[in-house]
Amino acid sequence: MNAKELKYRNTSSFSICSLFRVLNLFRTSSFGFRIFQLFRISNLFRASNFEFRISQAIVLAVLILAASPSLAIAHLVTTGMGPVYDGIGHLLLTPEDLVPVIALALYAGLRGASSGRRALFLLPLAWLAGGLGGLLLNDMPAYPVAIVSFLLLGGLIASDLQAGDGAVPVLAVSLGLIHGALNGAALKNGPAVLGLVGIMAMLFVFVALVSAFVVSLNRPWTRIAVRVAGSWIFASGLLMLGWTLKGQG
Amino acid sequence: MKGMTGQRHLLGTGVTLLVLFILSLSGAALAHESQPGSVDIKQLAGNRYEVIWKAPIYYGKRHPARLELPEHWQTVVEPTERLIADAHVYRRVVAIEDPGVHGSMVRFPGLEGTITDVFVRLNRLDGTTMTAVVRPTKPFAELRGERSWHTTAAEYIGLGFHHILQGIDHLLFVLGLLLIVKGRMMLLKTITSFTVAHSLTLGIATLGYASAPLPPLNAAIALSILFLGPEIVRSWRGETSLTIRYPWVVAFLFGLLHGFGFASGLSTTGMPRAELPPALLFFNVGVELGQLVFVFIALALVRSFRILQVRWPRWVEALPGYAVGSLGAYWTIQSKHEMRISKYETSNKL
Repeated sequence: MNAKELKYRNTSSFSICSLFRVLNLFRTSSFGFRIFQLFRISNLFRASNFEFRISQAIVLAVLILAASPSLAIAHLVTTGMGPVYDGIGHLLLTPEDLVPVIALALYAGLRGASSGRRALFLLPLAWLAGGLGGLLLNDMPAYPVAIVSFLLLGGLIASDLQAGDGAVPVLAVSLGLIHGALNGAALKNGPAVLGLVGIMAMLFVFVALVSAFVVSLNRPWTRIAVRVAGSWIFASGLLMLGWTLKGQG
Repeated sequence: MKGMTGQRHLLGTGVTLLVLFILSLSGAALAHESQPGSVDIKQLAGNRYEVIWKAPIYYGKRHPARLELPEHWQTVVEPTERLIADAHVYRRVVAIEDPGVHGSMVRFPGLEGTITDVFVRLNRLDGTTMTAVVRPTKPFAELRGERSWHTTAAEYIGLGFHHILQGIDHLLFVLGLLLIVKGRMMLLKTITSFTVAHSLTLGIATLGYASAPLPPLNAAIALSILFLGPEIVRSWRGETSLTIRYPWVVAFLFGLLHGFGFASGLSTTGMPRAELPPALLFFNVGVELGQLVFVFIALALVRSFRILQVRWPRWVEALPGYAVGSLGAYWTIQSKHEMRISKYETSNKL
């Protein structure tokens, strides 16, 4: 490793350290302490090299999912331009959906052009499939899916985890099916299928633009910037988790 | 040369997906289905006002929105209703008691579920006027004195922007041009000539110097899209034609037609003369902004596909030309059908 690379790694460590400080705050709370003890996430803090274990992240995600189901709150957007644009408006004005989509595109971009291509086609199709399923559902309980998506995808971007070739397709399909189903349930009494088509088109545009942008980044510091963005997404997820837990208490 | 052809193919295939998106939109919104409505409130004498509510025909049916006047506006002359070519016109005379017309709220229940804009105009005997644009997202207007120029500007820019985004036929024409054009300079020339041409006819039509009846105009616009279909296929095969060599000429000529189409989204009847030029200017700015956003997204997508090394099957590469041509043909036939219905209804009335 030359001096330049070391410098960038140090810069990266700085952002990761900020992330760790936030995690540490969570760890010091009684609930957080138990979670950390249970899944030995504290080891992360002791490790000299940051190695985010995907299995730990998934376990944490499932735990959060199981811990706090709540009622789905559907908010429909009326653009006055027809149901397709209403669907697009719904996506643009729903950060719980929009941020994970951008996060997936960022991560796919970090993993290279082939991952970007897979995400480009799989995410919109999975979202549509999930959405069509969601249209058939009645009273869907809303698990804090957004928190899991924020934490998982934010963590993956921040750590720049070199997952296998199948990781991005699995993430794209999972994200699409779950968020799509929630969207479908929310849009059932509004723009319905045409709204989903609008969302699908917007997803395609977003993933294409964002992942291609990340793939095109050549300078090492630009990749660091993307990872910093990931750490912000993770931190936002953590804040949301805190609010959810506080709300329940 | 090979690179250029490859780039064009990439553009074609990339935009194919946009065409498919547009296809899905076409059932929901067409430019000529989003005619605006209008409410003209004219002071007759003292507290007497005439209220004329022109509700456009909405997808072949009576418009779902209705006009709701404030409670202190008492109807004094029995309301009348008549059907004209493209709208229902409701007229009534009201007596406006205290606190008067100033600050009154006019509402449009049912508008929120539509894609219709409504122009509200108040003309008083002392020559003072007030105008407002009501959108489905805010289906009410408060009648309150003169408004600042930037409020008017924002309203009309938004109106123009929405009009082009809803006008799938106009966007499809721009898309067709993008598929034919080779090189950045030619792209700039083509888009500029389309802009100049439609701005000219938009101005002429809005100022009342010329007009085009809607059904044949829609048919002509659809024909312009149909015309581009074979040209795209020709360009894709590496053949040449006048349109491929000079796309800006075609853009200019057909742009003149499209300008009349844009004018249908801006109802200026009864609008105070002082407000006409800024309304026209800002509406056109909104249209250009919408067009630029569309072109920008199309070009950015092309670049993204290149970076992501997206390879398309050969049949997908040929799809844009056929999609543009087929939609053009479909809309031409649809417009001809509407013209026949319109003629039949007119002869029945006579």
